[in-house]
Amino acid sequence: MRLSTLLISGAAALCASVSASAPNATRDQSRQILLSEFKPPQVFENTNLVRNVNLEKGYPRETINVVVKNVDKEPQTYYYLAFDATVVDRVGGLEVRNKKSEIAEPYQIDFGSFSETDAVNFYRISIDPPLAPSADLTLSISYTVLSALTPLPSVIEQMDSQTVTYNTSAYAISAYKTHNQKTKLRFPSTNIPDYTTLPSTSSDNPSDPTRQGASFTYGPYVDIPALTTAPISFRYEFTKPLLHAPSLQRDIEVSHWGGNVAFEEHYALHNRAAALKNHFSRVQWQMTQYSSPPTTALKELRIPLRAGSSDPYYTDDIGNVTTSRWRPKTGLLEMKPRYPVFGGWKYTFKMGWNADARMYLKKAGAESYLLRVPFLEGPKMAEGVEYEKVSVRVILPEGAINIGLNTTVPIESSEISIHRTFMDTLGRPTVIIHATNVVDEWRDKGDLLITYDYPWTAGYRKPLTLAAAVFSLFAAVWVLGKVDTRIGKK
Amino acid sequence: MSSFIPLARVAVGDQPYEPFVSKNNQFIVAFVLLLISLTLSGVFALNRSLISLPVVGVPASLAFG
Repeated sequence: MRLSTLLISGAAALCASVSASAPNATRDQSRQILLSEFKPPQVFENTNLVRNVNLEKGYPRETINVVVKNVDKEPQTYYYLAFDATVVDRVGGLEVRNKKSEIAEPYQIDFGSFSETDAVNFYRISIDPPLAPSADLTLSISYTVLSALTPLPSVIEQMDSQTVTYNTSAYAISAYKTHNQKTKLRFPSTNIPDYTTLPSTSSDNPSDPTRQGASFTYGPYVDIPALTTAPISFRYEFTKPLLHAPSLQRDIEVSHWGGNVAFEEHYALHNRAAALKNHFSRVQWQMTQYSSPPTTALKELRIPLRAGSSDPYYTDDIGNVTTSRWRPKTGLLEMKPRYPVFGGWKYTFKMGWNADARMYLKKAGAESYLLRVPFLEGPKMAEGVEYEKVSVRVILPEGAINIGLNTTVPIESSEISIHRTFMDTLGRPTVIIHATNVVDEWRDKGDLLITYDYPWTAGYRKPLTLAAAVFSLFAAVWVLGKVDTRIGKK
Repeated sequence: MSSFIPLARVAVGDQPYEPFVSKNNQFIVAFVLLLISLTLSGVFALNRSLISLPVVGVPASLAFG
């Protein structure tokens, strides 16, 4: 008896641990673990490679255009993309396309190798159709790297200008031999106090890099072996906040009876800029606000919503924040945080708004619907915003079935769950989408397409349940009214 | 409730969803229904009988629902 109890409790504990770790398990499934000593087969060569690094925002955006040649005797499907192990966890929005055909969809990408000991990790790109022997293909690879800029000095005065450091490699790190390559960097200003100078490689350039205003060009470099790096670093002026959101939770709730789509977003913002050397001086801050000098503090968030949005609200942990302005005609929401968010400071808040269902929801059949909502909205800032973890919950009406999801956004995982709220009987089917290392430029680039069937009977479930409850109350009143409570004989 | 069905390429016409009760009329419809429900509840409260239970109670509860 005692043994069986033990077994049952053990099994229950096992089930609990399995169900608790389920979301992580689905996330890890996208990562195909290879052997730790994996080396990509040398079946490709990069004929020509140009790497562009744009540093105008608070995160670097890299675009690599590379002409790839199949040097093997067999057609090849897998091209491996190498990343330094220190960077790979912060890479987001990775897209690989065929540069020559603009219509083609991005290639499928799998995470190829993930081991604590490896200095280089790989993404595996599935080239479809496979590349024939001796054939060429031009790939356009683009991605962003989060938390890549570090303020130096790390503490500054309240109104000081800020300089940040950025470390990278003059060679684009590649799993294959590269015949000809160069790296171009574009900075937000011409004030670049420190940068690495490399020995010149060609007689045309007396120095490496070549500088043109706010643009630097390293190279050209000839015949660089696979996985070779040449560390370079920069320190440049960037007197803007470095906005980093460790988490963003975005809820989208569809109501068929109300004809409404309700949005709500929970932000945790962190300014990664240089910290204040002394205490914050409100007097100095107020005195300088008239001229509005560049600052590392976050003063205002501008959130363009879709025209037709209504009833916005903006609250934080204390309550409603009154320092906001809503322009209904253009749908622009201007919000000031409760305090200027300086480097190292954090600010958590919640905002939401409503929209007519007809703006997002279309009928795809008698009882089937198509919902098209933006994957990301939120602040549109000159300095950019980076999001470490984004989770979008699309809460569909109770009784929705046959749910389908399609999106061009590089999401990490998606699942269907149940969201229970007031007066629900079965709970509402909810599509939960997880993404990591997202930047604000996805606010204009990707939509979520969700199809579902919603039978008309499902729409009447809630009113009829309520009616049954009220009717049972009447019946109970009638039955209780019939009870004879008189004392004595009738 | 575990996985998505594959999304078929549905031919979607430009037919936005219109709710049964439009947003502008929500208040008046809800108010009238609630008023009917409360009135009928009052009638039932004054005249509790087996006949008035289905005759008055059913429409009252439907209106409330």
